[in-house]
Amino acid sequence: MKKIWWAQIKAVIRLEMKKTFFAKRGLWIYVLAAMPVMLFVAYAIVSSHQQSRSANIARQGERQLSYQDLRAVHSGMTTEEVIAALGKPSASFDWSENRPSPTKPGVILNVLHEDYHYSDGQNDLFVGIADGKVENIHIRHANNLGQDSIMFAGVFQFFFLRLGIFFGCLGIFMNLFRGEILDRSLHFYFLAPVRREVVMAGKFLAGLLATCTIFVTSEILQTVAFLWHFPAGARDVYLYHNHGLEHAAIYLGVTVLACVGYGAFFLVAGMMFKNPILPAAAILIWEGINPFLPAVLRHFSVIYYLKSLCPVDIPSPPGTSPIFALLVSNADPVAPPIAIVGVLVVALIALYVSSLQVRRLEINYTAE
Amino acid sequence: MNDRIIFEDVSKFYGEILGVNRVNLSIPPGITSLVGPNGSGKTTLMNLMTGLVRPTRGRIQVLDYSIDDPENLFKIVGYSTQFDSFPKGLTGFQFVYSYLRLGGRDSQSAEQLAWRAIERVNLVDAAKRNVAGYSKGMRQRIRLAQALSHEPKVLVLDEPLNGLDPLARSEMIALFRSTAAQGCYVIISSHILHEVDVISDQVILLSNGYVVAEGKIQNVRSEIQEHPTQILIRCHQPRELAAKMLEYPHTIEVSIHKDERGLLLKTRDADRFYLAMNEIALSGIDIESVAPADDDVLSVYEYLIGSEEVVR
Repeated sequence: MKKIWWAQIKAVIRLEMKKTFFAKRGLWIYVLAAMPVMLFVAYAIVSSHQQSRSANIARQGERQLSYQDLRAVHSGMTTEEVIAALGKPSASFDWSENRPSPTKPGVILNVLHEDYHYSDGQNDLFVGIADGKVENIHIRHANNLGQDSIMFAGVFQFFFLRLGIFFGCLGIFMNLFRGEILDRSLHFYFLAPVRREVVMAGKFLAGLLATCTIFVTSEILQTVAFLWHFPAGARDVYLYHNHGLEHAAIYLGVTVLACVGYGAFFLVAGMMFKNPILPAAAILIWEGINPFLPAVLRHFSVIYYLKSLCPVDIPSPPGTSPIFALLVSNADPVAPPIAIVGVLVVALIALYVSSLQVRRLEINYTAE
Repeated sequence: MNDRIIFEDVSKFYGEILGVNRVNLSIPPGITSLVGPNGSGKTTLMNLMTGLVRPTRGRIQVLDYSIDDPENLFKIVGYSTQFDSFPKGLTGFQFVYSYLRLGGRDSQSAEQLAWRAIERVNLVDAAKRNVAGYSKGMRQRIRLAQALSHEPKVLVLDEPLNGLDPLARSEMIALFRSTAAQGCYVIISSHILHEVDVISDQVILLSNGYVVAEGKIQNVRSEIQEHPTQILIRCHQPRELAAKMLEYPHTIEVSIHKDERGLLLKTRDADRFYLAMNEIALSGIDIESVAPADDDVLSVYEYLIGSEEVVR
């Protein structure tokens, strides 16, 4: 690459950065990026609150309980048996109910209900007692990093990747050319002694810098919020012995690749279409129906490669319809190196089309 | 080595709408004015010349460069457009400076050139202010500074005097003249005829997308054979002179000036008229001056097009 081209690309990036980062019309992109962070922060706050409550319940109990002790309670036990096994509950609640007698028609019985709350410090046992006998039991398990990492993967794949980054890239990359055509200021670039492909490359890199900064920051904050409420020991085990750190790095890599792939798509769409809704809908549908496409067509999709790179598989819950299961699972994953090259090739094809398009682009604002 | 701006059978259609049609031009150095009413194709011609729009048919070459090669074309071309919008958030200085940086210049040289251009358009005091707060005239001048900043050989200016006060106008006209005097090509568009009449070396008259005449104003005028030439003669014996002139078959009409110290004559053959004038001068009628009365752009334009849209 000529030295002057790089200098020109840097000049384009300098001009674009302010617009992409501080545009009022791009504020919603920050909201989009912040949403999963807020979700994990809220989850962490609720979890921390629950943990401290469980610890309190355990501390205030008559005796130190284990998980096995909690599991020992079963339906039909009497109140005395429960207290004998677990001690007096530190938190209880009682109330009464008028209920028709099952044996004597027309007779109303006053039934006394008692709810006992036990905890081993992490897991909670809720025992519902009616008329002196255990009627229902519910165990709320402590947050588990393994389980939560699946939830994290779900949020990443189904919200962050398919909606957050997708629409964020739409907002930033489609505006690189379309926004300036609407503002009637694109001619500024086209009147300079610079190849139009260089302008395009500069704008693409500016968009990439903006989206990567926004979404990589969001991804880092999500990871921090996700791990924050776990005990330090559990965090260390997850990060250093259960591939947690590796997964976090992969998520960041996938985020960058998603910005590259969708960015390239929306760059060309911004040059070809006046209305962003049409290409956005078309690409969203194309990405959405990817699992149902023939194998050859499946390769011309960003999500196909990104799904293959995601480190945690999301299991389909039992009873899931086959169509939904197909959406969730990745039936035909490709090897990570192929997936990375695949995204880059798809992006390069889109950028090549963009370069052809930018050469043909005319300044005719009145037609917009 | 080509030293002209060449249009070869160039047409531009915006869908069904005609921009310009079958334009053939060869523009030499100096100040060339594109004149025509709104919608006549002036801006289209300028946008074609600078590659902002592509011809539907035909070929355009600016000196040695194709319009498909902006990287080299804009090293020699500066274009001040009519588009009154700027990249957001830039000051006047940043606007010119960024343009130069886009061209690949280093920071120091871009800064020097930007200030020089801003000085040339007398906008130094406002250079650090945001362009969004500029008046129309200031925006016009900063666009001009941008077009001039890299010292181009070809300067294309779309309605460059719009929005300028009389003082700024005369400054800008002086600037165009000095630029043209250095051997540059200054292409100016205007629908205000008297504006370009005094500064143009040649004119290109446009109407409804067609070039209806081109060349030096006087030459264009003489090409309009079917339209009589009007000549104003100042003398002390206008009636005698009128009687003598009417003896010549090429004289169509003579009217005595209201101050009785001259006459306005219409002839269908200017060359024969001047020969006749020599004979009459020898016959003893004292003639003070003889001057064409209709070789300004306005007259030519009216003869050619009969347009009433032209702003006088």
